[in-house]
Amino acid sequence: MSSEENRLRLTILGGFLGAGKSTWLRHQLFAETYDQPHVIVNEVAPHAVDDTLLAGARCLDVLAGGCVCCDQKEQMIELLHSICNDRSRMQDVPQTRQLVFEMSGVADPGQVLTAIQNDPILNRHILLEEIIVVVDALHGLEQVRTEPLSRCQIEAADQILITKTDCCDAQTLETLLATLKQLNPASECRASVFGVEEPLPDASSAQPVPLPDLDGQTEEPLSSVSLNLDESGTDVNTWVGFSVWLSAMLHTHGNHMVRVKGVVRTPGGRLLLQSVRKVMQAPEILPDLPLGGERSSDNTVVLIGRGLNHERIHNSLHHVMTKTAN
Amino acid sequence: MCSACGFPPAVGHWTDAGGQTPTERLRIRFSRVALLNELLKPLGLGAHDLGVQPGIQISNGMGQTKLCQTLEEAWDQVEILSGTSFDPLNVV
Repeated sequence: MSSEENRLRLTILGGFLGAGKSTWLRHQLFAETYDQPHVIVNEVAPHAVDDTLLAGARCLDVLAGGCVCCDQKEQMIELLHSICNDRSRMQDVPQTRQLVFEMSGVADPGQVLTAIQNDPILNRHILLEEIIVVVDALHGLEQVRTEPLSRCQIEAADQILITKTDCCDAQTLETLLATLKQLNPASECRASVFGVEEPLPDASSAQPVPLPDLDGQTEEPLSSVSLNLDESGTDVNTWVGFSVWLSAMLHTHGNHMVRVKGVVRTPGGRLLLQSVRKVMQAPEILPDLPLGGERSSDNTVVLIGRGLNHERIHNSLHHVMTKTAN
Repeated sequence: MCSACGFPPAVGHWTDAGGQTPTERLRIRFSRVALLNELLKPLGLGAHDLGVQPGIQISNGMGQTKLCQTLEEAWDQVEILSGTSFDPLNVV
């Protein structure tokens, strides 16, 4: 497990067609936000255009002619294998530690992550850092109203980036913000114009737009439940109780869960847990904090999903924890 | 391939990540089956971990035992062996 820190950090950049993913990434490469990243670009069109925009990457690979979450999945896995392979072979050459994956506008980030997590090789070499989803301020509202895919993308996001904010009026932007917050309450929203960060208005008083049902799916908005494990101690039993409980939850209610995130203190170190839908990522061991420097966010895990009953969840975790202690 | 259990080598499941030393890992495995036994009792199932051999054994008290590589697989087997699903929200 000590090799965890050596894994490639993966940033997934998603968002609907024409949302401004490449424009944003182009500016980040120019501004050197990422340390010499290896960039992968996926395009649905058979001829890639965007890659010519992305000079400045240490390495650039293009997967064109299909979406990576369905028909190009095998090619994606193959490409990632070869990247990991090259990286392991050339250990004496300084290597990039950052992978930025710009997905096509019709890809679902959750599916891509599942494919990576289920691959025994990639699982050991790649660590998801964050999922950034770009939303267009002009068309975003219409997209979340009509496109199930657009909602899927937003729900999977850790960070939502609203682009083209200079082209829309303040009220639309506030409504969009409120709607995004309703769809994914745990994400962080930021605004950017041509890749440069812009301030966001305060949308606490704005009303979200009503979201109609799509494809007969029940589109109940997401809600989040915070679980605090502190009262249960930090020994083996906490981890056993919590991991057994959470694995059973993901097994039985995984389809209603969109995201699980949190840091748990275990005998083996502080573990960062992250899941997208049913798939839990191999936990990352975080460095220990200096003595007395306890983080208040430690041992707090957030579940995000649909139809979560707060009381039942808290009670059930409590019962399982009590049984562990006995 | 492990000559004891026949499982091909695999990435550790996330639920196995809590311990660094062999002792810690073993303690986690044993207290995990103890908890599983508590939870599965109402379904008429039992869990067992040999310790020297990877995997969790789930048995139904009628002679059927399944060796599961991970906890995730164990929940699948619980459903198959008991004929019902285990819902953690119903634990009392």
